[in-house]
Amino acid sequence: MKNMKEIDIPIEASVEQSRTNPLARVFDELVRFCRSRSMFMLHYCTGCGAIELPPAMTSRFDMERLGIQPMVTPRQADILLITGYVSIKTLKRVILTYEQMGSPKYVIGICSCTVNGGMYWQSYATAKQLDQYLPVDLYIAGCMPRPEAVLEGMRKLMDRIRSGEADGWKDYYRRYDWYLGNQQHLFGDDWQTPADVIGEASHYDLAGSGTEGEHTHLLQQCQKPLEPQQTFFQIGGSLEVKGESHE
Amino acid sequence: MSIQILLMELVLMPLVAFVVGLFLVLMLRRIGAKLQRRVGPPMMQPLYDIVKLYGKKTQISHGWMHDIGIIMAVGGYVAAETLLPVPGMDGIADKGGLVTLVYVMMIPSLGLALGVGQCANPNGSIGIARALTAMLAYDVPFVIVVFGVAWYFGTTNLVDIIAIQQAGGVAGWGATAMPLLAIAGLFALQGMLGKQPFEIYIAPAEIATGPMVEMSGKYLGGLFVMQCFQLYTAGVLYVSLFLGGGENWLFFLLKVFVVVAIPMTVAFLFPRYKTEQMIRLMWKWPVMIGLLGLAFVMH
Repeated sequence: MKNMKEIDIPIEASVEQSRTNPLARVFDELVRFCRSRSMFMLHYCTGCGAIELPPAMTSRFDMERLGIQPMVTPRQADILLITGYVSIKTLKRVILTYEQMGSPKYVIGICSCTVNGGMYWQSYATAKQLDQYLPVDLYIAGCMPRPEAVLEGMRKLMDRIRSGEADGWKDYYRRYDWYLGNQQHLFGDDWQTPADVIGEASHYDLAGSGTEGEHTHLLQQCQKPLEPQQTFFQIGGSLEVKGESHE
Repeated sequence: MSIQILLMELVLMPLVAFVVGLFLVLMLRRIGAKLQRRVGPPMMQPLYDIVKLYGKKTQISHGWMHDIGIIMAVGGYVAAETLLPVPGMDGIADKGGLVTLVYVMMIPSLGLALGVGQCANPNGSIGIARALTAMLAYDVPFVIVVFGVAWYFGTTNLVDIIAIQQAGGVAGWGATAMPLLAIAGLFALQGMLGKQPFEIYIAPAEIATGPMVEMSGKYLGGLFVMQCFQLYTAGVLYVSLFLGGGENWLFFLLKVFVVVAIPMTVAFLFPRYKTEQMIRLMWKWPVMIGLLGLAFVMH
Protein backbone atom coordinates (compact mmCIF):
# COMPACT_ATOMS: atom_id res chain seq x y z
CA MET A 1 0.00 0.00 0.00
CA LYS A 2 1.32 3.37 -0.95
CA ASN A 3 1.64 5.58 2.07
CA MET A 4 -0.49 8.67 1.68
CA LYS A 5 1.89 10.79 3.71
CA GLU A 6 4.73 10.34 1.26
CA ILE A 7 2.96 11.71 -1.77
CA ASP A 8 4.53 14.92 -2.94
CA ILE A 9 2.00 17.72 -2.66
CA PRO A 10 2.56 20.79 -4.80
CA ILE A 11 1.33 23.87 -2.97
CA GLU A 12 0.59 26.75 -5.27
CA ALA A 13 0.79 30.35 -4.19
CA SER A 14 -2.45 32.21 -4.70
CA VAL A 15 -2.42 34.45 -7.75
CA GLU A 16 -3.45 38.02 -7.00
CA GLN A 17 -5.94 39.23 -9.55
CA SER A 18 -5.64 42.77 -10.80
CA ARG A 19 -8.53 44.85 -9.48
CA THR A 20 -9.86 47.83 -11.34
CA ASN A 21 -12.01 49.29 -8.59
CA PRO A 22 -9.93 51.67 -6.41
CA LEU A 23 -12.09 50.76 -3.40
CA ALA A 24 -11.63 47.02 -3.92
CA ARG A 25 -9.30 46.67 -0.93
CA VAL A 26 -11.75 48.50 1.32
CA PHE A 27 -14.59 46.24 0.24
CA ASP A 28 -12.42 43.16 0.66
CA GLU A 29 -11.48 44.25 4.15
CA LEU A 30 -15.14 44.91 5.01
CA VAL A 31 -16.34 41.58 3.66
CA ARG A 32 -13.54 39.70 5.43
CA PHE A 33 -14.41 41.44 8.69
CA CYS A 34 -18.10 40.57 8.31
CA ARG A 35 -17.23 36.99 7.41
CA SER A 36 -15.21 36.68 10.58
CA ARG A 37 -17.96 38.22 12.72
CA SER A 38 -20.82 36.21 11.28
CA MET A 39 -20.24 32.48 11.10
CA PHE A 40 -23.14 30.11 10.58
CA MET A 41 -22.21 26.62 11.63
CA LEU A 42 -23.88 23.58 10.24
CA HIS A 43 -25.93 21.54 12.67
CA TYR A 44 -24.23 18.32 11.70
CA CYS A 45 -22.03 16.58 14.16
CA THR A 46 -20.19 13.30 14.23
CA GLY A 47 -18.92 11.33 17.17
CA CYS A 48 -18.81 12.35 20.78
CA GLY A 49 -17.48 15.93 20.58
CA ALA A 50 -20.97 17.11 19.71
CA ILE A 51 -21.84 17.00 23.39
CA GLU A 52 -19.53 19.96 24.05
CA LEU A 53 -21.37 22.21 21.61
CA PRO A 54 -24.69 22.76 23.44
CA PRO A 55 -22.86 24.25 26.47
CA ALA A 56 -20.83 26.42 24.11
CA MET A 57 -24.04 27.70 22.51
CA THR A 58 -26.26 28.18 25.57
CA SER A 59 -26.27 30.56 28.49
CA ARG A 60 -22.94 29.72 30.07
CA PHE A 61 -20.62 30.40 27.13
CA ASP A 62 -23.00 31.87 24.53
CA MET A 63 -21.45 31.59 21.08
CA GLU A 64 -23.90 34.17 19.69
CA ARG A 65 -21.75 36.88 21.31
CA LEU A 66 -19.22 36.13 18.61
CA GLY A 67 -21.84 35.98 15.87
CA ILE A 68 -21.79 32.19 15.65
CA GLN A 69 -25.22 30.72 14.98
CA PRO A 70 -26.37 27.21 14.20
CA MET A 71 -27.95 26.75 10.76
CA VAL A 72 -29.74 23.68 9.59
CA THR A 73 -28.90 23.24 5.92
CA PRO A 74 -25.48 23.14 4.23
CA ARG A 75 -26.61 25.82 1.79
CA GLN A 76 -26.91 28.36 4.58
CA ALA A 77 -23.83 27.38 6.56
CA ASP A 78 -20.22 28.61 6.56
CA ILE A 79 -18.53 26.26 9.00
CA LEU A 80 -18.61 22.50 8.99
CA LEU A 81 -17.75 21.14 12.41
CA ILE A 82 -16.42 17.60 12.48
CA THR A 83 -16.75 16.74 16.12
CA GLY A 84 -15.10 13.41 16.61
CA TYR A 85 -14.30 10.21 14.79
CA VAL A 86 -15.47 9.92 11.22
CA SER A 87 -16.37 6.44 10.13
CA ILE A 88 -16.00 5.74 6.43
CA LYS A 89 -19.75 5.68 6.01
CA THR A 90 -20.03 9.06 7.75
CA LEU A 91 -17.17 10.53 5.72
CA LYS A 92 -19.15 10.02 2.52
CA ARG A 93 -21.99 12.10 3.98
CA VAL A 94 -19.57 14.70 5.29
CA ILE A 95 -18.04 15.15 1.83
CA LEU A 96 -21.48 15.36 0.21
CA THR A 97 -22.43 18.02 2.75
CA TYR A 98 -19.19 19.94 2.34
CA GLU A 99 -19.52 20.15 -1.42
CA GLN A 100 -23.03 21.58 -1.11
CA MET A 101 -21.93 24.49 1.05
CA GLY A 102 -21.43 27.88 -0.56
CA SER A 103 -17.88 29.24 -0.68
CA PRO A 104 -16.09 30.53 1.33
CA LYS A 105 -16.51 27.63 3.69
CA TYR A 106 -14.43 26.41 6.58
CA VAL A 107 -13.90 23.02 8.18
CA ILE A 108 -13.02 22.64 11.84
CA GLY A 109 -11.83 19.30 13.15
CA ILE A 110 -12.69 18.95 16.82
CA CYS A 111 -11.31 16.14 19.06
CA SER A 112 -8.14 14.16 18.58
CA CYS A 113 -9.93 11.55 16.44
CA THR A 114 -9.98 13.97 13.52
CA VAL A 115 -6.27 14.72 13.96
CA ASN A 116 -4.88 11.19 13.91
CA GLY A 117 -7.69 8.75 14.55
CA GLY A 118 -7.33 9.06 18.32
CA MET A 119 -8.46 5.95 20.16
CA TYR A 120 -9.84 4.58 16.87
CA TRP A 121 -6.35 4.35 15.36
CA GLN A 122 -6.65 0.59 14.91
CA SER A 123 -10.21 0.65 13.65
CA TYR A 124 -10.69 -0.58 10.09
CA ALA A 125 -13.85 1.48 9.63
CA THR A 126 -12.59 4.92 10.66
CA ALA A 127 -10.95 7.63 8.57
CA LYS A 128 -7.83 8.52 10.52
CA GLN A 129 -6.74 11.90 9.28
CA LEU A 130 -9.46 14.29 8.21
CA ASP A 131 -7.26 16.67 6.22
CA GLN A 132 -6.56 13.98 3.66
CA TYR A 133 -10.17 14.08 2.54
CA LEU A 134 -11.27 17.62 3.26
CA PRO A 135 -9.31 20.88 3.63
CA VAL A 136 -9.30 21.45 7.39
CA ASP A 137 -8.81 25.07 8.42
CA LEU A 138 -8.41 24.48 12.11
CA TYR A 139 -8.01 21.60 14.53
CA ILE A 140 -9.13 21.79 18.12
CA ALA A 141 -7.39 18.93 19.88
CA GLY A 142 -8.59 17.23 23.03
CA CYS A 143 -10.68 14.28 24.00
CA MET A 144 -13.04 16.07 24.13
CA PRO A 145 -12.07 19.76 24.18
CA ARG A 146 -14.01 21.77 26.73
CA PRO A 147 -16.31 24.61 25.58
CA GLU A 148 -13.57 27.10 26.50
CA ALA A 149 -11.24 25.37 24.06
CA VAL A 150 -13.94 25.30 21.39
CA LEU A 151 -14.52 29.04 21.79
CA GLU A 152 -10.78 29.69 21.78
CA GLY A 153 -10.55 27.76 18.53
CA MET A 154 -13.45 29.74 17.08
CA ARG A 155 -11.68 32.99 17.95
CA LYS A 156 -8.56 31.67 16.27
CA LEU A 157 -10.60 30.91 13.15
CA MET A 158 -12.08 34.43 13.28
CA ASP A 159 -8.57 35.89 13.28
CA ARG A 160 -7.51 33.67 10.41
CA ILE A 161 -10.60 34.57 8.33
CA ARG A 162 -10.00 38.25 8.99
CA SER A 163 -6.39 38.08 7.87
CA GLY A 164 -7.36 35.95 4.87
CA GLU A 165 -5.33 32.90 5.95
CA ALA A 166 -8.30 30.57 6.24
CA ASP A 167 -8.56 29.59 2.59
CA GLY A 168 -8.91 25.84 2.82
CA TRP A 169 -11.85 25.96 0.43
CA LYS A 170 -9.54 27.31 -2.29
CA ASP A 171 -7.13 24.49 -1.58
CA TYR A 172 -9.89 21.95 -2.22
CA TYR A 173 -10.41 23.37 -5.70
CA ARG A 174 -6.69 23.74 -6.45
CA ARG A 175 -5.72 20.23 -5.35
CA TYR A 176 -9.01 18.42 -6.00
CA ASP A 177 -7.20 15.55 -7.69
CA TRP A 178 -5.25 14.74 -4.54
CA TYR A 179 -8.29 14.92 -2.28
CA LEU A 180 -10.33 12.85 -4.74
CA GLY A 181 -7.53 10.29 -4.91
CA ASN A 182 -7.65 9.80 -1.15
CA GLN A 183 -11.43 9.58 -1.27
CA GLN A 184 -11.30 6.97 -4.03
CA HIS A 185 -8.69 5.04 -2.06
CA LEU A 186 -11.25 4.73 0.73
CA PHE A 187 -14.56 4.45 -1.10
CA GLY A 188 -13.58 2.66 -4.28
CA ASP A 189 -13.11 3.79 -7.87
CA ASP A 190 -16.79 4.40 -8.55
CA TRP A 191 -17.09 7.12 -5.89
CA GLN A 192 -18.89 10.21 -7.14
CA THR A 193 -20.77 13.17 -5.70
CA PRO A 194 -23.49 15.29 -7.32
CA ALA A 195 -21.36 18.45 -7.11
CA ASP A 196 -19.32 19.41 -10.17
CA VAL A 197 -16.15 20.43 -8.34
CA ILE A 198 -13.99 20.91 -11.44
CA GLY A 199 -16.65 23.13 -13.02
CA GLU A 200 -16.87 25.19 -9.84
CA ALA A 201 -13.08 25.52 -9.71
CA SER A 202 -12.95 27.01 -13.19
CA HIS A 203 -15.97 29.18 -12.34
CA TYR A 204 -14.07 30.68 -9.39
CA ASP A 205 -10.81 30.93 -11.37
CA LEU A 206 -9.20 28.51 -8.97
CA ALA A 207 -8.44 25.66 -11.36
CA GLY A 208 -4.74 24.89 -11.11
CA SER A 209 -2.44 22.09 -12.18
CA GLY A 210 -3.67 19.97 -9.28
CA THR A 211 -7.36 20.31 -10.04
CA GLU A 212 -7.39 17.63 -12.69
CA GLY A 213 -5.28 14.50 -12.84
CA GLU A 214 -5.45 10.74 -12.93
CA HIS A 215 -8.07 10.53 -10.22
CA THR A 216 -10.44 12.99 -11.86
CA HIS A 217 -10.04 11.07 -15.13
CA LEU A 218 -11.05 7.93 -13.27
CA LEU A 219 -14.03 9.85 -11.88
CA GLN A 220 -15.07 10.97 -15.34
CA GLN A 221 -14.89 7.40 -16.60
CA CYS A 222 -17.04 6.01 -13.81
CA GLN A 223 -19.37 8.97 -13.51
CA LYS A 224 -23.01 8.28 -14.14
CA PRO A 225 -24.98 11.36 -15.09
CA LEU A 226 -27.49 12.45 -12.50
CA GLU A 227 -31.05 11.97 -13.58
CA PRO A 228 -33.88 14.11 -12.31
CA GLN A 229 -35.98 12.23 -9.82
CA GLN A 230 -39.33 11.34 -11.27
CA THR A 231 -42.40 10.26 -9.44
CA PHE A 232 -45.26 8.62 -11.20
CA PHE A 233 -48.74 8.46 -9.85
CA GLN A 234 -50.95 5.78 -11.22
CA ILE A 235 -54.57 6.61 -10.87
CA GLY A 236 -57.04 3.79 -10.86
CA GLY A 237 -55.61 0.28 -11.27
CA SER A 238 -52.90 0.42 -8.62
CA LEU A 239 -55.40 0.87 -5.83
CA GLU A 240 -56.83 -2.59 -6.38
CA VAL A 241 -53.43 -4.22 -6.03
CA LYS A 242 -53.01 -2.98 -2.49
CA GLY A 243 -56.14 -4.89 -1.59
CA GLU A 244 -57.35 -5.16 1.93
CA SER A 245 -57.23 -1.59 3.22
CA HIS A 246 -59.45 -0.40 0.40
CA GLU A 247 -62.12 -3.01 0.62
CA MET B 1 -45.79 68.52 -3.29
CA SER B 2 -43.12 68.77 -5.95
CA ILE B 3 -41.95 65.73 -7.84
CA GLN B 4 -38.40 65.99 -6.45
CA ILE B 5 -39.56 65.77 -2.85
CA LEU B 6 -41.81 62.83 -3.71
CA LEU B 7 -38.96 60.98 -5.42
CA MET B 8 -36.67 61.66 -2.48
CA GLU B 9 -39.30 60.32 -0.09
CA LEU B 10 -39.77 57.19 -2.19
CA VAL B 11 -36.05 56.47 -1.84
CA LEU B 12 -35.74 57.53 1.80
CA MET B 13 -38.72 55.63 3.20
CA PRO B 14 -37.48 52.11 2.32
CA LEU B 15 -33.97 53.09 3.46
CA VAL B 16 -35.22 54.26 6.84
CA ALA B 17 -37.34 51.11 7.05
CA PHE B 18 -34.26 48.97 6.43
CA VAL B 19 -32.16 50.69 9.09
CA VAL B 20 -34.96 50.55 11.67
CA GLY B 21 -35.57 46.94 10.62
CA LEU B 22 -31.95 46.04 11.38
CA PHE B 23 -32.43 47.28 14.93
CA LEU B 24 -35.74 45.43 15.20
CA VAL B 25 -33.95 42.20 14.24
CA LEU B 26 -31.28 42.99 16.81
CA MET B 27 -34.00 43.51 19.42
CA LEU B 28 -35.60 40.19 18.46
CA ARG B 29 -32.33 38.34 18.99
CA ARG B 30 -31.49 40.25 22.18
CA ILE B 31 -34.91 39.46 23.70
CA GLY B 32 -34.37 35.79 22.89
CA ALA B 33 -30.92 35.92 24.44
CA LYS B 34 -32.10 37.67 27.60
CA LEU B 35 -34.93 35.17 28.10
CA GLN B 36 -32.38 32.37 27.83
CA ARG B 37 -29.94 34.24 30.15
CA ARG B 38 -27.42 34.84 27.41
CA VAL B 39 -25.60 38.00 26.42
CA GLY B 40 -26.84 37.99 22.86
CA PRO B 41 -25.34 39.27 19.64
CA PRO B 42 -23.39 42.55 19.34
CA MET B 43 -25.01 45.74 18.06
CA MET B 44 -24.13 45.43 14.38
CA GLN B 45 -24.71 41.68 14.10
CA PRO B 46 -27.70 41.85 11.67
CA LEU B 47 -25.61 44.01 9.33
CA TYR B 48 -22.60 41.66 9.56
CA ASP B 49 -24.86 38.75 8.64
CA ILE B 50 -26.28 40.51 5.60
CA VAL B 51 -22.92 41.77 4.30
CA LYS B 52 -21.40 38.33 4.75
CA LEU B 53 -24.27 36.59 2.98
CA TYR B 54 -24.02 38.97 0.03
CA GLY B 55 -20.26 38.30 -0.08
CA LYS B 56 -20.68 34.56 -0.50
CA LYS B 57 -20.10 32.85 -3.80
CA THR B 58 -22.13 30.23 -5.52
CA GLN B 59 -22.19 28.57 -8.87
CA ILE B 60 -25.53 26.93 -8.33
CA SER B 61 -28.66 28.30 -9.96
CA HIS B 62 -32.15 27.04 -9.35
CA GLY B 63 -33.50 28.86 -12.39
CA TRP B 64 -34.64 32.40 -13.04
CA MET B 65 -37.96 32.00 -11.25
CA HIS B 66 -35.96 31.45 -8.06
CA ASP B 67 -34.17 34.78 -8.59
CA ILE B 68 -37.40 36.62 -9.36
CA GLY B 69 -39.08 35.12 -6.30
CA ILE B 70 -36.55 36.80 -4.00
CA ILE B 71 -36.87 40.11 -5.88
CA MET B 72 -40.65 39.92 -5.45
CA ALA B 73 -40.29 39.13 -1.76
CA VAL B 74 -38.07 42.15 -1.08
CA GLY B 75 -39.76 44.37 -3.67
CA GLY B 76 -43.23 43.76 -2.22
CA TYR B 77 -42.09 45.13 1.12
CA VAL B 78 -40.22 48.04 -0.48
CA ALA B 79 -43.50 48.96 -2.18
CA ALA B 80 -45.33 48.60 1.14
CA GLU B 81 -42.91 51.03 2.86
CA THR B 82 -43.85 53.81 0.43
CA LEU B 83 -47.50 53.34 1.37
CA LEU B 84 -46.85 53.64 5.12
CA PRO B 85 -46.73 57.22 6.40
CA VAL B 86 -43.95 58.04 8.87
CA PRO B 87 -43.43 61.37 10.67
CA GLY B 88 -42.61 64.02 8.09
CA MET B 89 -42.94 61.71 5.09
CA ASP B 90 -46.17 60.55 3.51
CA GLY B 91 -44.82 59.16 0.26
CA ILE B 92 -47.73 57.91 -1.83
CA ALA B 93 -49.71 56.87 1.26
CA ASP B 94 -52.69 59.16 0.67
CA LYS B 95 -53.00 57.91 -2.90
CA GLY B 96 -52.61 54.22 -2.09
CA GLY B 97 -54.71 53.70 1.00
CA LEU B 98 -55.19 50.79 3.33
CA VAL B 99 -56.64 48.36 0.79
CA THR B 100 -53.65 48.66 -1.54
CA LEU B 101 -51.32 48.21 1.41
CA VAL B 102 -53.03 45.00 2.53
CA TYR B 103 -52.82 43.73 -1.04
CA VAL B 104 -49.14 44.65 -1.43
CA MET B 105 -48.27 42.93 1.85
CA MET B 106 -49.32 39.58 0.37
CA ILE B 107 -46.88 39.83 -2.56
CA PRO B 108 -43.77 38.70 -0.61
CA SER B 109 -45.36 35.38 0.39
CA LEU B 110 -46.48 34.76 -3.18
CA GLY B 111 -43.03 35.66 -4.53
CA LEU B 112 -41.43 33.30 -2.07
CA ALA B 113 -43.85 30.57 -3.15
CA LEU B 114 -42.86 31.02 -6.79
CA GLY B 115 -39.15 30.99 -5.98
CA VAL B 116 -39.22 28.06 -3.60
CA GLY B 117 -41.37 26.02 -5.96
CA GLN B 118 -38.58 26.19 -8.52
CA CYS B 119 -35.89 24.69 -6.29
CA ALA B 120 -37.62 21.29 -6.11
CA ASN B 121 -36.65 20.56 -2.54
CA PRO B 122 -39.46 18.66 -0.79
CA ASN B 123 -38.81 20.48 2.49
CA GLY B 124 -39.18 23.78 0.68
CA SER B 125 -42.46 22.75 -0.90
CA ILE B 126 -43.84 21.56 2.43
CA GLY B 127 -42.70 24.80 4.05
CA ILE B 128 -44.23 27.09 1.48
CA ALA B 129 -47.50 25.12 1.46
CA ARG B 130 -47.66 25.62 5.22
CA ALA B 131 -46.71 29.30 4.89
CA LEU B 132 -49.54 29.97 2.44
CA THR B 133 -51.99 28.08 4.65
CA ALA B 134 -50.80 30.19 7.57
CA MET B 135 -51.41 33.30 5.48
CA LEU B 136 -54.95 32.10 4.88
CA ALA B 137 -55.33 31.68 8.64
CA TYR B 138 -54.11 35.10 9.82
CA ASP B 139 -55.50 37.11 6.91
CA VAL B 140 -59.12 36.52 8.00
CA PRO B 141 -58.77 38.29 11.38
CA PHE B 142 -56.40 40.80 9.78
CA VAL B 143 -58.96 41.83 7.15
CA ILE B 144 -61.69 42.05 9.81
CA VAL B 145 -59.45 44.36 11.87
CA VAL B 146 -58.57 46.54 8.88
CA PHE B 147 -62.25 46.75 7.88
CA GLY B 148 -63.27 47.70 11.42
CA VAL B 149 -60.70 50.47 11.65
CA ALA B 150 -61.63 51.84 8.22
CA TRP B 151 -65.33 51.79 9.19
CA TYR B 152 -64.71 53.56 12.50
CA PHE B 153 -62.66 56.38 10.98
CA GLY B 154 -64.80 56.52 7.85
CA THR B 155 -61.82 56.39 5.50
CA THR B 156 -59.24 53.98 4.10
CA ASN B 157 -56.64 56.73 3.81
CA LEU B 158 -53.86 56.05 6.33
CA VAL B 159 -52.82 59.72 6.46
CA ASP B 160 -56.35 60.70 7.46
CA ILE B 161 -56.64 57.87 9.97
CA ILE B 162 -53.45 59.04 11.68
CA ALA B 163 -54.53 62.69 11.59
CA ILE B 164 -57.89 61.87 13.22
CA GLN B 165 -56.19 59.88 16.00
CA GLN B 166 -53.60 62.57 16.68
CA ALA B 167 -56.29 65.24 16.87
CA GLY B 168 -57.96 63.43 19.76
CA GLY B 169 -54.83 62.67 21.81
CA VAL B 170 -54.52 59.30 23.58
CA ALA B 171 -58.31 59.18 23.98
CA GLY B 172 -58.62 59.33 20.21
CA TRP B 173 -56.26 56.43 19.54
CA GLY B 174 -57.67 53.41 17.80
CA ALA B 175 -56.66 51.17 20.70
CA THR B 176 -58.76 53.25 23.14
CA ALA B 177 -61.78 53.40 20.86
CA MET B 178 -61.60 49.79 19.63
CA PRO B 179 -59.82 47.69 22.29
CA LEU B 180 -61.29 44.41 21.01
CA LEU B 181 -60.08 45.04 17.48
CA ALA B 182 -56.65 45.98 18.86
CA ILE B 183 -56.43 42.62 20.65
CA ALA B 184 -57.49 40.75 17.52
CA GLY B 185 -54.88 42.76 15.63
CA LEU B 186 -52.14 41.62 18.01
CA PHE B 187 -53.17 38.01 17.39
CA ALA B 188 -52.97 38.53 13.63
CA LEU B 189 -49.60 40.27 14.06
CA GLN B 190 -48.20 37.19 15.80
CA GLY B 191 -49.22 35.04 12.85
CA MET B 192 -48.06 37.59 10.30
CA LEU B 193 -44.57 37.72 11.76
CA GLY B 194 -44.50 33.91 11.88
CA LYS B 195 -43.48 33.83 15.51
CA GLN B 196 -43.42 30.88 17.81
CA PRO B 197 -46.86 29.46 18.37
CA PHE B 198 -47.36 29.95 14.62
CA GLU B 199 -43.97 29.16 13.09
CA ILE B 200 -44.73 25.66 11.84
CA TYR B 201 -43.67 26.63 8.31
CA ILE B 202 -40.11 27.45 9.43
CA ALA B 203 -39.66 24.52 11.85
CA PRO B 204 -35.84 24.28 11.63
CA ALA B 205 -35.49 20.89 13.27
CA GLU B 206 -38.26 19.19 11.29
CA ILE B 207 -38.31 20.59 7.75
CA ALA B 208 -34.98 22.46 7.81
CA THR B 209 -36.36 26.04 7.80
CA GLY B 210 -38.97 25.21 5.15
CA PRO B 211 -38.99 27.88 2.43
CA MET B 212 -35.37 28.85 3.18
CA VAL B 213 -33.97 25.35 2.77
CA GLU B 214 -32.24 25.86 -0.60
CA MET B 215 -31.40 29.53 -0.07
CA SER B 216 -27.68 30.10 -0.04
CA GLY B 217 -25.55 33.23 0.01
CA LYS B 218 -27.25 36.12 -1.72
CA TYR B 219 -30.68 34.47 -1.65
CA LEU B 220 -30.54 34.08 2.11
CA GLY B 221 -29.19 37.63 2.31
CA GLY B 222 -32.29 38.77 0.43
CA LEU B 223 -34.46 36.97 2.94
CA PHE B 224 -32.61 38.59 5.85
CA VAL B 225 -33.29 42.00 4.26
CA MET B 226 -36.91 40.93 3.82
CA GLN B 227 -37.14 40.08 7.52
CA CYS B 228 -36.02 43.61 8.45
CA PHE B 229 -38.75 45.07 6.23
CA GLN B 230 -41.32 42.60 7.50
CA LEU B 231 -40.83 43.50 11.17
CA TYR B 232 -40.89 47.21 10.34
CA THR B 233 -44.00 46.99 8.14
CA ALA B 234 -46.01 45.01 10.67
CA GLY B 235 -44.98 47.28 13.53
CA VAL B 236 -45.65 50.55 11.69
CA LEU B 237 -49.00 49.34 10.36
CA TYR B 238 -50.18 48.43 13.85
CA VAL B 239 -48.94 51.76 15.23
CA SER B 240 -50.72 53.64 12.44
CA LEU B 241 -54.01 51.82 12.96
CA PHE B 242 -54.21 51.74 16.73
CA LEU B 243 -51.56 53.88 18.41
CA GLY B 244 -51.98 57.18 16.61
CA GLY B 245 -49.05 56.92 14.24
CA GLY B 246 -46.06 59.11 14.97
CA GLU B 247 -46.16 62.70 16.23
CA ASN B 248 -42.39 62.81 16.01
CA TRP B 249 -39.65 60.24 15.31
CA LEU B 250 -38.85 59.60 18.97
CA PHE B 251 -42.38 58.55 19.97
CA PHE B 252 -42.92 56.84 16.64
CA LEU B 253 -39.87 54.57 17.00
CA LEU B 254 -40.68 53.96 20.66
CA LYS B 255 -44.17 52.76 19.73
CA VAL B 256 -42.88 50.58 16.87
CA PHE B 257 -40.28 48.89 19.06
CA VAL B 258 -42.80 48.27 21.85
CA VAL B 259 -45.34 46.81 19.41
CA VAL B 260 -42.78 44.48 17.81
CA ALA B 261 -41.40 43.48 21.22
CA ILE B 262 -44.78 42.01 22.26
CA PRO B 263 -44.87 39.15 19.70
CA MET B 264 -41.14 38.51 20.27
CA THR B 265 -41.57 38.14 24.02
CA VAL B 266 -44.60 35.91 23.60
CA ALA B 267 -42.80 33.88 20.95
CA PHE B 268 -39.97 32.61 23.12
CA LEU B 269 -42.39 31.28 25.72
CA PHE B 270 -44.28 28.92 23.42
CA PRO B 271 -43.71 25.76 21.43
CA ARG B 272 -45.51 25.62 18.09
CA TYR B 273 -48.94 24.59 16.88
CA LYS B 274 -49.61 22.31 13.94
CA THR B 275 -51.02 23.95 10.82
CA GLU B 276 -54.57 22.75 11.36
CA GLN B 277 -54.45 23.79 15.01
CA MET B 278 -53.21 27.20 13.94
CA ILE B 279 -56.08 27.65 11.49
CA ARG B 280 -58.62 26.51 14.04
CA LEU B 281 -57.20 28.89 16.64
CA MET B 282 -56.89 31.81 14.23
CA TRP B 283 -60.35 31.40 12.78
CA LYS B 284 -61.89 30.97 16.22
CA TRP B 285 -60.49 33.42 18.81
CA PRO B 286 -59.18 36.46 16.93
CA VAL B 287 -62.06 36.24 14.46
CA MET B 288 -64.58 36.04 17.30
CA ILE B 289 -62.95 38.93 19.19
CA GLY B 290 -62.64 40.88 15.95
CA LEU B 291 -66.29 40.35 14.96
CA LEU B 292 -67.42 41.36 18.45
CA GLY B 293 -65.28 44.49 18.19
CA LEU B 294 -66.68 45.14 14.75
CA ALA B 295 -70.24 44.86 16.14
CA PHE B 296 -69.42 47.44 18.82
CA VAL B 297 -67.84 49.76 16.24
CA MET B 298 -70.72 49.48 13.78
CA HIS B 299 -73.44 49.83 16.38
